[in-house]
Parts: sequence; structure tokens; C-alpha cells
Amino acid sequence: MASPILQQTSPTVLSSIRQLIDPRAFQIAALGSFLIYGISNLGWNDQVLRVAIIISTALFVQAIAIVALKLPWNSLKSGAITGLGLSLLFYSSTQWLWVLAPALAISSKYLIQFKGKHIFNPANFGIVIPILLTGDAWVSPGQWGNNAMLIFFFSVSALMILARVGRVDTSLSFFLTLLGLEYLRSVVYLGWDVEWLMHKMTNGSILLFTFFMITDPRTTPNHRYARLAWASGIAVIAFVLTSYFQLHTAPIWALFFASPITAFLDHFFRSRGFKW
Amino acid sequence: MKSIVSIFMVVAAVVSGYQAQAFCGFYVANAGAKLFNNKSEVILVRDGNRTTVTMSNDFRGDAADFAMVVPVPVLLQKNDIRVMHRGLFDKLGDYSAPRLVEYHDENPCHQYTYNLSSRSVMATDMEFSEQESVKEDAELGVRVEARYEVGEYEILILSANESNGLRTWLTQNGYSIPDQANEVLDPYIKSNMKFFVVKVNLDQFARMNSEYLSPIQITYESDKFMLPIRLGMANANGPQDLIVYAITKQGRIECTNYRTAKLPTDRNIPLAVQPQFGEFYKALFDKAWKQEGRNTVFLEYAWDVSPQNPMKCDPCIGPPPIVYDLREAGATWLTDQNYSSQAFFTRLHVRYERDKFPQDLNFQVTPNTERYQCRYVMTHPAQGDMSCEAGQKYLQRLQERRRVEQQELASLTGWDQRVKRPIGEDRNEFVPIGGASGRSGRNPQSPIGLGWMLPVAFLVILTSLTLPEYIRRSRSLA
Repeated sequence: MASPILQQTSPTVLSSIRQLIDPRAFQIAALGSFLIYGISNLGWNDQVLRVAIIISTALFVQAIAIVALKLPWNSLKSGAITGLGLSLLFYSSTQWLWVLAPALAISSKYLIQFKGKHIFNPANFGIVIPILLTGDAWVSPGQWGNNAMLIFFFSVSALMILARVGRVDTSLSFFLTLLGLEYLRSVVYLGWDVEWLMHKMTNGSILLFTFFMITDPRTTPNHRYARLAWASGIAVIAFVLTSYFQLHTAPIWALFFASPITAFLDHFFRSRGFKW
Repeated sequence: MKSIVSIFMVVAAVVSGYQAQAFCGFYVANAGAKLFNNKSEVILVRDGNRTTVTMSNDFRGDAADFAMVVPVPVLLQKNDIRVMHRGLFDKLGDYSAPRLVEYHDENPCHQYTYNLSSRSVMATDMEFSEQESVKEDAELGVRVEARYEVGEYEILILSANESNGLRTWLTQNGYSIPDQANEVLDPYIKSNMKFFVVKVNLDQFARMNSEYLSPIQITYESDKFMLPIRLGMANANGPQDLIVYAITKQGRIECTNYRTAKLPTDRNIPLAVQPQFGEFYKALFDKAWKQEGRNTVFLEYAWDVSPQNPMKCDPCIGPPPIVYDLREAGATWLTDQNYSSQAFFTRLHVRYERDKFPQDLNFQVTPNTERYQCRYVMTHPAQGDMSCEAGQKYLQRLQERRRVEQQELASLTGWDQRVKRPIGEDRNEFVPIGGASGRSGRNPQSPIGLGWMLPVAFLVILTSLTLPEYIRRSRSLA
């Protein structure tokens, strides 16, 4: 964010730039570049059809919602974000699930609501339901590896976006809680070396989840304290599921079951809701 | 004193010289497991929470010096341990090895046919035996939970309270444990792992009159689906190769804490590679391993080996595993009566070393049943008179193809003009000798080479989303 001096000298220029760049455009650019990187560098070139179907279905369903509910066309960006998120995470060898997952994800935003706020994180919902119902879909937590370039870019691009939408707290709360618990268990108690912990916490999938999934401003609690507690709660559940139940995709499940709690937290901790 | 070798021993599968007829090209050579030194092989069968691990070794020294320590998640009973025949590893290894297949161009001036020949190798019979077990307690916070004699092995199951006691106990009992092992013994002990300690019963081994030590198979129920590679790094010099043959009901297995990548496959390479196909594959693997940052698990083979699947390989380079083999490996859900059962085979190749693999390998079973094989193709030129117009055009195309094949070879292996033999012996007058361009450019799969894609793609997408809005606003202001 701009320093006061800069704001004094050229308030109009800075504010117009800030207004101009929609944080959702940032997010699309970030997720889109990860996808391009995956296709060009991580050998996902055989995934192009899956990616294309998921993204176009997401956009199509979002367009239907826009027409049906008379929403601004601007919200097509939300559909793109969900589609990109799914194409980075959701795998299935059954092609109709490539259509079902984004369709469920987008429609959950409009069909499963509480007090005008959707309950589930759309991409998360689109991943979990097909896995639960069909057993023919999966998430590959190792797909990013521990690539320094990616880690750097994940973090930098994410912090730029989160600073704009005010959800840095959510990411940090989740990540630091998980880091602390892992440190206590792996390094202090079990006696693994620090490299073991570093390897765990720099996994691309953990970072993508930390910065791009849990932070969706529309499904996080509105009040800051509630948000901090909620995000660290998800970290605790994810930690327990990974460490004691060997569920390596734990954060995604933890978020799914924690999402409905947001509604309760919003009820008890009143705060202004988020608008794009 | 016995020195603990590594968790998974060095092993060699026989590079068999048989040739099999296949639907899609002929298999002519495979890159057998023998190529890689410092290598171990494991068969991993996962069904729900039940895991069967078969470990193979080709320990070449004096059997008296052999010892092995494997951390296991549960206390193993006598019936959970078996000694297997090496034939199973050879069979799975030959079946799934990277393959070179050959095609023959037809003479465009006249059609001709050639005969196909095939040979096959019979499945090897398995034999195993089990012997009496005794229990015994010990000092130093180490408890001998069980003592079994199985085949030529004496097996101890130990549980320990702390690593120093365990190390002292092992040293006192004639096992030499490297100092660096301490750093990983503690985490295993605290994770409630037991230690499966193996040495050779020399009398028994002498009586068996065998040249090699048998593979050992253990079965246990645990939600941990992993291979403990960290302990084996303690005394390793340099990277070690591990080949995993996995069998599941659902589909492929993949690593959850390292990236599972595919190797380049279905590439056309020069004929001259054939006699050195093994070396070719070794160079290819080496290059891919370095390019992917040395911290990646590679997929070498994935195929549905269910009894009812008629095509278990294409082309087949070794006899596919039959129900008996899969059951021997631990896929006990398969029966001769129940042909509806599924079985999916995955072959992974990991080259690991301490600084790049700080964690043990964790796996998950996915419903992914997509086939994959490491397949390289060579094409023999057409024979006979080429004087017709089509023949002349063919020769031109052949020359161009040979050039591309050389480039491909250089790009896959990093070999620069190393293939000195004339390319395409039969038609070498059409090809410049040693015509490898060698300047193959950047391999498209290099993670570092294309790292710049990330910020560039980011800026391009951001600009293209923001620019129309900017133009619209400036117009409305004007």
C-alpha cells in the first residue's frame, strides 16, 4: 500500500491505479500463470483438454447465473477464478466430472446461501463433492513439488492480492498455526531435522491452498478475530488429519467442513461483509 | 561385524534377450534394472490399509556381512513375513522396463512382407519357507518383540525407547550402524515404528546352495502408505536408485510429498542406439533427473493388469504378470474364480539422496487408470530398389527424418555426436555420418529454462484484463 507522502503528492494517480486493477484480475493473472507454468514446465501438457473443459464450464455456468440473476457481467471474473482454481487442483479420469465439478462449484454460490453469503468455498465444494460421490476424482498434493521459483512467485503474487482485499490475516493465521504445530511435532518431539519441516511447508499445494483457496473473501468470516480463529482452526484440523490419519489432502477437507462455521461466526462477530 | 547395507538393497534384474511379437511395433531391447548401480527394488501392494512390501537385494559380498534394518509401522507376526523367489522381481521388472521398439518402412516402389518371430519366457515358480519363532527381551530399552527364522534369514523385530539404546544394542549384537543413522532412528522410534532386523543364517544359506539372497516380503495393516528411505541414506555414498512396482485395486499410485513426473516417451531415435539402448535410457533418465531438480519421482510404467484385461502391454517386452504372480506379490483380492477383480500396475523410479529427499516417500492410491510406458521407437529404412519417383521422395524424407532423430537423441540424452556409427547403416549413403546436430536447444520440460514464463504470463494476463477497462475510462474522461 502507498506511503502517506506518495498519496499526498499524487493521490489521484495512485487511487485511480488502485481502482483500475481489480484484485480479481490480479488473481486471474496469478492462477493463470501457474497453470501456464504447469503446462510448460511441469509436464501437464496432457492436461490441456481437462483444463479447457473445466474453465469453459465454469465461465458458462457463471454466465447463466449472470443472466438469470441479473448480475453484473464483471462477476464473470469470479467464475474464471473458480475455474482456474479447479483446473489446478481437480483431477478425474472420467470426463463428465470435468463438467460436473465446475458446475457444482459455481452453482453452489447461488444455491447454498445463508443470509446472502454463500456457505462453501466454490472451488473447494467442486473438488470435494465429486470425490465423495464418485470416488473417481482426486487431488495430487505432490504435483507442484518444492520448486523455489514457484514458491517465491506464489507468495509474492498472493500477498499483492491479499493486501488489496484485506485477507493477509487469514493466510498468515492458517500458515503460522500449521507451521507451529508441525514444528512442535516433527522437529521438537519426533526429532526430524529442519529440512524435513521446510520440505513440508514449502510444498506447492500447501502454499496454493494458503494463499489462494482459504482466502476467498466471500467465504471467510467478516470479523477479523473470527477470521483468525477460523483459519487457525482449519490449520489444526488439517494438521491432525495429516499427521495422525495420513490424509495428505487434509487442508481441502478441513476447509470443506469448516466452511459452514463461517455463518455462525458472522452471526456472533458482527462486521461489514465483503464486496468486490 | 555386519554392516547394515541400506534399507533396500542393490539389485539387478536380468536383461533378457528374448524378442516378443507385439501388436504395435516390435520390442527389441529393454533398459533392464541391471543398468543402475546402487539400486534397490520394492514391490508395493496396497489394498485399503493393508500393505505388502517385498524387498529385493543383490548383495554381492560375503553373506556373513549382510544385514538390513527396516522401520515398519506395526509389530509383525510370523505369518506376516515370507521369503520369496527372485523370479517375481525379474518378471515384473522385464514386463515394465523402458522399451525400444522397431518399425520397418515399406518400400514405396514395391510391397514386401517380413516374418515375425516370438519367444516367451515361462513364469518362474515361487518357493518359500517359514521356520520357528522365539521371543526374547533385552536391556538398553530395546525389546526383542519376536525372533523368526524364515528361509535363509534370521529376523528380529525390535522396539526401542530411544535411539542410543537401539544403536548400542545393534552394535553389541554385531550390527554396525553408521553414526548418521542416529538422527533418523529417534523420529522412527517416537513415531512408534518397530524395527525389522535381518541377517543371514549362514548354515541355512549354505544348505540352500543359492547364489543370491531371497527377497523378503512383509504384510501389515496401517494407514501409513510409505517407504522409509531416510535410514538407508545414512551410509549411502551419493544417490541411490529405487524402483517401485506397485499393485492396487483402483489405479496408479503417486507420491504425495514429491512430484511424480513422466519421462519423455514415444520418441523416434536413430537405429544406432539399439546396441546401446541400456546406456541410452540411463543417460535419458540422468538428464531428466537433473532437469527436474533431482527431487522428483518418475513414472516409468502404468497399466491395467486385471485378469479380464486382454491387452496387458503394447508392445509386450516380458510376459505380463498372471493372477498367480500378482497374488504372490500380495494382491490377494485376485482369485482365479473372481475374474472381475481389478489390478493396476504402476512402476516408479526414484533417485534419491539426502539433501534432496528430506522426507520418506509417502504415497496415495488414485483412481487414475491411464496407461503409460517409456517407449522409444526406431525405424528401419525400406530395402531394395528405390529408382521410382516415390522411392526418391522417400529417400529425401528419410534423410530429413534421420536428422530429426539425431536431434531428438541429443535432446533426450545430452549425447553430443557420441553416436559415431553411421546412422541407418542400410541407407547411410543418404545421411551425413555423425550428423548429430547436437545443438538441440532447450528441452521444453526444463523447469529452470522456462522459469521466466511465470512472471511474463502473469503480466500478460493482468494487462489484457486491465487494459480494456483503462481504455474505456480514458475515453469516457476525454
